[in-house]
Amino acid sequence: MRYYAERVARSVLTVWAAVTLTFGILRLMPGGPLVQLRGQLSRRNMSPEEIENQIAVYRERLNLVDAPIHEQYIAYLSNLLQGDFGQSLKEGEPVLQLIGEALPWTVFVMTVATILIFAIAIVWGALTAYKEGSTFDKVSSVAGVLLGSIPFYVFAFILLLFLAYQNKFFPASGRMTPLTDVELTVGFIIDVLHHAALPIASVVVVQAGLQMLSMRGNSIQVLGEDYVRVARLRGLSDRRISTRYVARNAILPMYTGFLTLIGFNIGNSVILEQVFTYRGIGYVMFDALEVQDYSVLMGVFLVFTIVLVVAVLIADLTYSWVDPRVKSGDASEAY
Amino acid sequence: MASTTVETREPDSEDPVVELRNASVTYDDGNSYVLDHVSMDVHRHEVIGVIGESGSGKSMLAESMLDSIPDPGVLRGQVRYNPSEGEPIDVLDLTTEELRQLRWEEISMVFQGAMSSFNPTMRVGKHFEETLSAHDADIDEGLAFARELLQDLYLEPDRVLNSYPHELSGGMQQRALIALSLVLEPELLVMDEPTAALDLLMQRSILRLLRELKEKYDLTMVFITHDLPLIAALADRLAIMYAFHPVEIGRTEEIVQNAAHPYTRALLNSTPNLDAPIEEMVPIPGSQPAPINVPDGCAYHPRCPLADEQCRSSKPDYVSVSDRHTSACYHWDDARDEIALNYSENLGDAARSGGDE
Repeated sequence: MRYYAERVARSVLTVWAAVTLTFGILRLMPGGPLVQLRGQLSRRNMSPEEIENQIAVYRERLNLVDAPIHEQYIAYLSNLLQGDFGQSLKEGEPVLQLIGEALPWTVFVMTVATILIFAIAIVWGALTAYKEGSTFDKVSSVAGVLLGSIPFYVFAFILLLFLAYQNKFFPASGRMTPLTDVELTVGFIIDVLHHAALPIASVVVVQAGLQMLSMRGNSIQVLGEDYVRVARLRGLSDRRISTRYVARNAILPMYTGFLTLIGFNIGNSVILEQVFTYRGIGYVMFDALEVQDYSVLMGVFLVFTIVLVVAVLIADLTYSWVDPRVKSGDASEAY
Repeated sequence: MASTTVETREPDSEDPVVELRNASVTYDDGNSYVLDHVSMDVHRHEVIGVIGESGSGKSMLAESMLDSIPDPGVLRGQVRYNPSEGEPIDVLDLTTEELRQLRWEEISMVFQGAMSSFNPTMRVGKHFEETLSAHDADIDEGLAFARELLQDLYLEPDRVLNSYPHELSGGMQQRALIALSLVLEPELLVMDEPTAALDLLMQRSILRLLRELKEKYDLTMVFITHDLPLIAALADRLAIMYAFHPVEIGRTEEIVQNAAHPYTRALLNSTPNLDAPIEEMVPIPGSQPAPINVPDGCAYHPRCPLADEQCRSSKPDYVSVSDRHTSACYHWDDARDEIALNYSENLGDAARSGGDE
């Protein structure tokens, strides 16, 4: 119990540290939101008076932007604790609402992608391990390293070019066909999956290879263990040995990696969603970056941090369930 | 001697459980032998100790009885298994399924690494259950027998069966593994250095338990080890391995007191014992040949003080030294005179009483 409490307390501390750092770093960016906006407004041939009025509105939304940084920080934290993430600069929309609308889409894409990555990696890695040294194994290893060394956004462009523009198999952008009714029908779900297919594929293809290599390594190691040999001599079926003995023990070390990869991939959404114009949380953040929208940026960073910290926390707290050798309290720590 | 008098059934040299004939294991497309034309019987209800240095082929001898040589080794020759009832079986002619049934049901094996012989993510009891069901045995009956075995081995059955392997000590895992190897009531138990990873006290106590089990269940055992005093306390016969085949086989007391092969005598003199001061322990100069360059003639000749032209050119056959005692040496008689043993004649007794503790 003490262990659980400690881990939760430390996670909270991590989030606080991340918030503080982000807060400081954002303020270090040159210019600041008002300078950016003033520039944008003046290009629209507005009269100085109108500009000043508009800026006043923005200044109001930014809350204490001219106050000393420590006052801004304290104000932000106390608002945060009351569940107030601030307002977006341009539209004045509550940040929480903005995030709440975008986050589920990103979580959907990245969770599906990560689950697929591991499903493919486990089967593929186990097969290569069983066929160690065969042509299939050699080709797979090379393919795994090769794919793993391509940045996912580069692969995303390749997919876009061939599967969305040259051949119109998949839509090039968007979360769903415009003007569809959002309701849980088969047609809607298919439409959503159709739109999410390319973003998911570009992450899966690039990352599955590397996970496959780690599954392959684990499996080869387990296959060489005495207990697998003894199990064969005891006459157990190949099926039982490959699931209960080899797979079970080879997947164990990947469990933590699986949960944290979901967390990291949510962070990866910033670039991925830009490429596919997919309005998830990464897209929201990129938009906010262009005008240095402090509140939105802070909010999105906070979500990234929390997702990752929670993923690590879940991994730590549940590891003792999947591996009997680790008792909760035996400080199992992913990071 | 102690271990033979208390037995319910005497070993029967006319009734072999396993007969090896010219059994060879080769690697590298047949160019290097790691088991070199071994012909040897395992008698029913005996404990035969197989002794040799590391890399002398003793594990290969053990594995060949179950036809379980690790890839890419190839086993040739004849391995015949004689069940107590029914026709003899040529182990090397069996189909995969027949071999699967033979292993563990008829011939079972305990490996040196007990700690690594259990699946770390599965309870010990599950290992028993899956073994029983893989051989279509009655699970309830089998588990009841497993509990009895565990009890015989001074373990608490409930606690052991409900534990994960890591929750048991090394000695407990080793005993649980012995129980697992006996759960299908095999005719023959092959043990490959079953005590290697254990401390001395645990080794002796496991040995004592094995003797009790052997008496209770009329077991036949092949016990592979490099620890001569340890096995001398348990074995009825000893086979001394050198360079991938046995050079001398005989009753334990014959071997210990009246060995008829220069290597055996040198091995005995290099073994620590309480009778001889440490200065008298004599190492054997040189080292055992690797499989790729076994010397011509007698493989031991480069290290043998008695070697002559004959030893260098032709390989000695087994000579019957006395009743059930054979030695592969041209000069077995000279060896007894030339190589004096550095201990009094009761090493065997000392070892036995050590094991009796």
